[in-house]
Amino acid sequence: MHIPDAFIPMGQALIYWVIALIFIVLALRWARRSMGEEKIPLVAVLAAGIFAIQALNIPIPWGTSGHMVGAALAAIVLGSPFAGVFVLTLVLLVQGIIFGDGGITVMGANIVNMGVIGGFIGYYGYTAIKRVIGNAYAAAFIAAWAALFVSAILCAVELAIAGTFPLIPGLTMMGTYHAVIGLIEGGITAGALYLIASARPDILEHPAGVSA
Amino acid sequence: METKQFVVIGIAIALVIAVAAPFLASGDPDGLESAFFSIYGAKPFMGSELDEDAAGAAEEQAIVTTGNDFSYEALMPDYSIPGMDKAGEVVAVVLGTLLMLVLVFAVAKVSARPDN
Repeated sequence: MHIPDAFIPMGQALIYWVIALIFIVLALRWARRSMGEEKIPLVAVLAAGIFAIQALNIPIPWGTSGHMVGAALAAIVLGSPFAGVFVLTLVLLVQGIIFGDGGITVMGANIVNMGVIGGFIGYYGYTAIKRVIGNAYAAAFIAAWAALFVSAILCAVELAIAGTFPLIPGLTMMGTYHAVIGLIEGGITAGALYLIASARPDILEHPAGVSA
Repeated sequence: METKQFVVIGIAIALVIAVAAPFLASGDPDGLESAFFSIYGAKPFMGSELDEDAAGAAEEQAIVTTGNDFSYEALMPDYSIPGMDKAGEVVAVVLGTLLMLVLVFAVAKVSARPDN
């Protein structure tokens, strides 16, 4: 779902950069207040793992593929939507600058779609669903699916404003493909959460994330 | 599990995925590219045949539509090393994974809450 430069006019791309920068500043404030030094290695490992798994495109029907985004996982494990913004901003920066995956001028839009939407829907979806159904893994699956799906819907709206996609076909196609790709996001998020929680059960006992 | 052990296992898993990804990853367009090609008539919405010529024309058309012709030559475009095949892709994804580890550790170190 990495938007390339050509898909959004420069002026609109700058607006998304401004929105992204606001959330990046908020994410840095979250880090200063709530990300203790003991979490630094965990954040770095999570980011490296998310980068690696993003390179693994999994086939879905219709000659299409999709990959994990990971903002929901970072937000759930570290206990804040801003953790998703923090990790995805750095992942997208490296992907765009070193690997040409996702544009430079439109990086703000990609940070908003995947980092901000992914982090917020992932975290608040997870906490709300877990409260209702009680199962952390089912909650993580549904929240991560929703995070990816809503990111794709917002992406389609941005590309309609940009004039690149007509609105209804854009929403239909982006929605259809990402409803399926969301199953990959949900499955890997729930699986990774299970592995992390098995190694460090304190993560699920404290909804604010892993403590040490 | 100790944090140190947890981190070592985490790095190992990330590197295994990084090495395997170039061999396992699907080369099909991702959801956004697929929607783009379908909208511009280079691929059926629910089909898989991609018309390469129409796909190229679609990319030209997008630049005309948005006027954003910014282009940038990445060091390792599309997770590959120019002139190298699969081995280059493995090196690219592994280097990216290690770079993430170092970069995020450094940024997190600078921005984390100091423990008193």
